[in-house]
Amino acid sequence: MIVILTCSLTACAGSGDNNAGKETGTKDTEADKGLPVMGDQITYDPNHLVNDGNPITIDWWVWASEEMFRSIADAYEEIHPNVAINIINNPWDGYFTKLPLSLQKGEEGPTLFNIHNSYENLLMNYIEPYDIDTKEFIADYPSAASHVKDGKIYYADYGMSTGMVYYNKKLWKEAGLTEEDIPVTWEEFIEIAKKLTKFDEDGKMTRAGFNYNNYFHAIALGLNYQFGENMFSEDGRVSQVDGVGMKKAVSLLTDLFEKYHVGDKDFGTDCEQSFYQEQSAMVFVWGFFVNNLKTNYPDLEYGTFEIPTPEHDTPYAYYRYNGEATPGINKNASAAQKEVGQDFMRFFFANDEIQIMLSREGGLIPAKEALMESEELKDTPIVRTVGPHIDRYIWPGAMPSTLENNMKIAGEDILYNGKAPDKALKNAAGIIDVDLANTDFTASENLYQYYEK
Amino acid sequence: MRNREEKGMFKRRPLQSKSEVWMRNIVMGILVVYMAVFLIIPVIMVIAGSFHQWNPLNETYNWIGIENYVRMFSYPTFWQSMLNTVIFCVFVVFFRVTIGLAVAYALNSKMTRFKTFFRTVFYMPTVTPLVAVAYVWKIMYNPQFGLIDKIFGLDINWLFDSKFALPALMLMTVWKDFGYAVILFLSGLLSLPADCYESASLDGADAWQTFRYITLPLLKPTMLFVVVTSIISYLQAYVPVLVMTKGGPGTSTYLSSYLVYDQAFKQYNFGYASAISLFILVLTAAFTVISFKVTGNKDE
Repeated sequence: MIVILTCSLTACAGSGDNNAGKETGTKDTEADKGLPVMGDQITYDPNHLVNDGNPITIDWWVWASEEMFRSIADAYEEIHPNVAINIINNPWDGYFTKLPLSLQKGEEGPTLFNIHNSYENLLMNYIEPYDIDTKEFIADYPSAASHVKDGKIYYADYGMSTGMVYYNKKLWKEAGLTEEDIPVTWEEFIEIAKKLTKFDEDGKMTRAGFNYNNYFHAIALGLNYQFGENMFSEDGRVSQVDGVGMKKAVSLLTDLFEKYHVGDKDFGTDCEQSFYQEQSAMVFVWGFFVNNLKTNYPDLEYGTFEIPTPEHDTPYAYYRYNGEATPGINKNASAAQKEVGQDFMRFFFANDEIQIMLSREGGLIPAKEALMESEELKDTPIVRTVGPHIDRYIWPGAMPSTLENNMKIAGEDILYNGKAPDKALKNAAGIIDVDLANTDFTASENLYQYYEK
Repeated sequence: MRNREEKGMFKRRPLQSKSEVWMRNIVMGILVVYMAVFLIIPVIMVIAGSFHQWNPLNETYNWIGIENYVRMFSYPTFWQSMLNTVIFCVFVVFFRVTIGLAVAYALNSKMTRFKTFFRTVFYMPTVTPLVAVAYVWKIMYNPQFGLIDKIFGLDINWLFDSKFALPALMLMTVWKDFGYAVILFLSGLLSLPADCYESASLDGADAWQTFRYITLPLLKPTMLFVVVTSIISYLQAYVPVLVMTKGGPGTSTYLSSYLVYDQAFKQYNFGYASAISLFILVLTAAFTVISFKVTGNKDE
């Protein structure tokens, strides 16, 4: 069955409108465009011809935000009219199965493709390193240092994302709360959540003060830092998801529902949907939610605040963050396609407008150092909320997907199947460690400024 | 079979012309290629892959001996998925056959009117795409706005409660699939010899006796076909799980084929998934042989 499914996916992988490599369109004869050079350390001089000005088409695979990436492609095509970039949107489900198979097809596959770092081990064999000096790269994008392999950078981050609490301003006001009431500790948070929670006369919950349904595992992974424990062992090869820190994190989360009744595991199946429908007053979601709200529910008034902590003192770390990965270049693409891909990525990194747009739309803190204090981004929810403490967030590394997958199972076992947290977490740790042993993953927690063994 | 050939029932006719020989060779050639490409080669690849740490997506293929099998037999989720599969198969096949036979019997009755209409209605879920049906049922099971809780005044989180999640999947599958059994049983009933019923009637058999001693034995081949094909198809069921529960809550609705899908296409452990696949293949083959042995036609 799996061989036939793989074969059929290979067929699907090439089923889109594929004009990659075909020479159709305009010929560009004007190298001097009269445009200024962009960038700081990584620079981009638009005044040149790409592919000798001959028409060329490349594909760029994305799994979301098609319009956002389309606008970047449009900006590039405006400079180089001989280049046509097809944005091909493949849904997240199946993206990382179809993509490697498509990349094996050489110039028929995508030249550019979006990456999620949890699938790094699937894609590394197919990525061409950027043709950009590593020192210059790191000078502009310091987090790229953690992506250097053999002195080269195959992909980096264009922004940093993390989670924050989103609250519904209307419901907040109805409960008599003001900005002054924004909680700092979990104790304060629980009191606020209680005020926002409503029940009907039969005692049935009609509004959750806080809802994490379908997101339990995502919150738990990183909350362990607040209790002083890393997610991985000192050598970065073994998970500690069954450690004391994670157990405390899980206990806190289950108490919110079972002890304090500010939410309920059966109150809807998806906290995001529940927040959209104003059935939940607060949710904890990552930065991308900003764009989801803007696109789907632009009239919903919301605010954000930082994840609460056990005490008023600064914790070992607030939570984890992750990088939003830059597109990769297919090493199996034709020489002409790779030339365009390299040129495009230099444009991508050097162009501040693009980087600002990506951070605003994606709810990110920009990875480009020069933009971290930029006027255009200082009022975005994520910068305003976690910006002051971003040095107290940990990047655990490009965590393989087995962590999220198995912690999701553990979370459901604890919440819905009544399994003891110790046992559920131990099961998850066992499977995760077997899977990690089959990868070359090593955690990056030791790069954290305040790292403690 | 040999006796029948000797009696001339299946006497071979020599091929008549070159074009007939060519036609035979072409047809057989296509079938052989088809079987090789879609059956023999994949099975060989799965057998070989089950002894490797295998991920075709990043081109990993390392020999690890029987490690995948050792892991499989020591992995609690594997045993849970096998148990779930047995429960799923037994209940769904039982209700598919029972409801299918009952409805077919009712439709076959002379008292029933609008037979074509009912046949169409009962068969409609079978021809509706499974993914679409699963999505609709998923919405119907929603604890906040789902139709099922609303209609029956219940407060059950069907797909997130380990007591109800698997039965919820089974209920949907029975609803979706019983129409297929209806059509097969109906065609079986229509082909039964009328003289048997006339004899039974003359002997004074009542409706239950006629059903028990005439209809059921004569329907045995159809029954066997429905049961065996149902079991084979439910051993491969993973779409309802994928759409409705993703195996959850926890691993409480993992079926064996969903485990294969999960390991191959979510965890990218193709070698391990191959080992499980092979186990299911052997199990299915063994079950099919046993079914034919136990309930097969004694005439043969």
